Amino acid sequence: MDSSRNMILAIVLSALVLIGWSFLSERIAPTATEPTTEIVEGEQVALPNTDAPGPDTPAEMRELSEVLAESQATRLPIETPRVEGSINLRGARIDDLVLLDYRETIDADSPPIRLLNPEGADAAYFAHFGWAAADIETPNGSTVWQADGESLTPDTPVTLSWRNETGQLFEIVLAIDEDFLFSVDQRISNLGDNPITARSYAQLSRSLPETHAQREPDTWLIHSGPTGFWTEDLNHIDYDDVTAAGSTGERFSITDGWLGFNDKYWLTAIFPAAGTNVEAAFMPLGNERFQAVYSTPETVINAGRAVTRSTSFFAGAKEIILLERYESENGLNQIDLSVDWGWFYWFELPIFYLLHWLFTTIGNFGVAIICLTFIVRGLMFPIAQKQFQSMASMRAVQPKMKEVQERYKDDKQKMQQEVLALYQREKVNPLAGCLPIFLQIPIFYALYKVLMLSVEMRHEPFALWLKDLSAPDPLTPVNLFGLLDFVPPPYLAIGLLPILLGITMYLQFKLNPAQMDPTQQKIFGIMPWVFMVIMAPFAAGLQLYWVTSNILTIAQQKWLYSRDPRLKEQAKATDE
Amino acid sequence: MIAKLFIGLARLWQWGPSAILPPTCRYTPSCSAYAITAWSRYGAFKGSWLALRRILRCHPWGGSGHDPVPLIENE
Repeated sequence: MDSSRNMILAIVLSALVLIGWSFLSERIAPTATEPTTEIVEGEQVALPNTDAPGPDTPAEMRELSEVLAESQATRLPIETPRVEGSINLRGARIDDLVLLDYRETIDADSPPIRLLNPEGADAAYFAHFGWAAADIETPNGSTVWQADGESLTPDTPVTLSWRNETGQLFEIVLAIDEDFLFSVDQRISNLGDNPITARSYAQLSRSLPETHAQREPDTWLIHSGPTGFWTEDLNHIDYDDVTAAGSTGERFSITDGWLGFNDKYWLTAIFPAAGTNVEAAFMPLGNERFQAVYSTPETVINAGRAVTRSTSFFAGAKEIILLERYESENGLNQIDLSVDWGWFYWFELPIFYLLHWLFTTIGNFGVAIICLTFIVRGLMFPIAQKQFQSMASMRAVQPKMKEVQERYKDDKQKMQQEVLALYQREKVNPLAGCLPIFLQIPIFYALYKVLMLSVEMRHEPFALWLKDLSAPDPLTPVNLFGLLDFVPPPYLAIGLLPILLGITMYLQFKLNPAQMDPTQQKIFGIMPWVFMVIMAPFAAGLQLYWVTSNILTIAQQKWLYSRDPRLKEQAKATDE
Repeated sequence: MIAKLFIGLARLWQWGPSAILPPTCRYTPSCSAYAITAWSRYGAFKGSWLALRRILRCHPWGGSGHDPVPLIENE
């Protein structure tokens, strides 16, 4: 009676976990990157690019190609091995940039990731560098600048210049490296007769995409939105908080830090020159438009003098090793914190380095994950060996334990004491303890974060149907492996790997000694299938790790059991 | 107050992950039960210290058997 009530409770609890999880997970722990492929009639096809303007794009918003074509006359191309785009000389805006090494989908023909967009198109996103001064005319958004070159490349920096009526010459010297870093020198030369007072500013302007589906979710574990490093601390701000701050915005001052807009994989950030203190803010411009801006202190510039202020502007993919190089060689203080590792970075980074090293050595990311699993299980080998030894002897005394349980089934306390006494009599080694588990959990969590966060692991294939290990397994029997023409809802789309996960987990649990409590034993029977459903929406790489780990555990456990003399005898006895 | 929160977390651990993990306890009471008793008896700070020391003892080369939370000595 009591046990059947417990059973019902266990089932209800499992159901609650399953339902509650799907509600919570998107807020707390995003499960995996967007699926990049689907399986249609047994064929794997890339999902279409969702970045095209949707039907609810308002009329005043125009096609990107149209906007770019209109301003063609005033555009100066940017060409480097890794990025392509242009600068609009009207307003001196860097507002057109695509990342050539990264594609929208896993389809090799899909368009490259577009980071910056001009104003007028959906999701306008651009950098702009300017001046504020009281008594003189300063360049503004409609100023057309003169460029001294044909294009901006790593070998050919470009100087933009503009002169006002009162004799002040404004210059923006732009340079770009082979990766994602612009350096921007803003020079104001006072060629007039009177001293002037001016300050320069750098700003990033961003409108969130019109359709909500194209916005990146901001979750507890992975922040997406306004971010920066100031007052010796990494600061994550929500777009909503910037809106709530009103016209003053979120204000702060920065020395040796940065601010910008942070996505899971991409970042734009502006860095004032080392050692200078600047006033900075995230400003809401209304209509889901935001600005990250900093301005240098006001300076008096006498006639015949010039002042130059330097900014480093990062726009690109957050490749960890590149970010670390920028930090150490280019003085971009704490740029690597833009990857949201969270509290456990000290544990996650070594896992990342190991996996990245395996990946670059082997060349296949799935094989690298399998190797990582072997390394982890190898390190755990001696601990697991002791654990399985004691499990083996526990299984050996199981018949005697059943007797004890029968005899004292009305007195739980007495039963536990007798079981302990039995273990001592039969020389059952104590179990491994909880420390080994506390070592395993962080490794799994670290792998989760590495797969979720690092752009290096994005769109990386394994073999067969697994074309992107950072996305869920797309091959699911729910629609007969794509033969039926329907896309199952995410919580039903249980791929092949999670099913393997459930099966291997079930087999592994069967090797463990039976629980003293029959209800708990039944929960063990359900748990693999609960896990199968919970894990299904997570990255395939994570499932691959778990399945491999289960198989290795089963192999070790079986091998050890086969050598245990008492279990051997029992097996012989049952055979006869 | 903080101790209560910790005890709640430990209970969540018992109902959730601990229920599905293979049996591992070397000691009675288990680490989570030990921690709950330690927090209710000694509060958040000293209780955590006792629980941490227990977890660090709870490995394949550590001790085993009956290991209760020490009683508060009357001065």
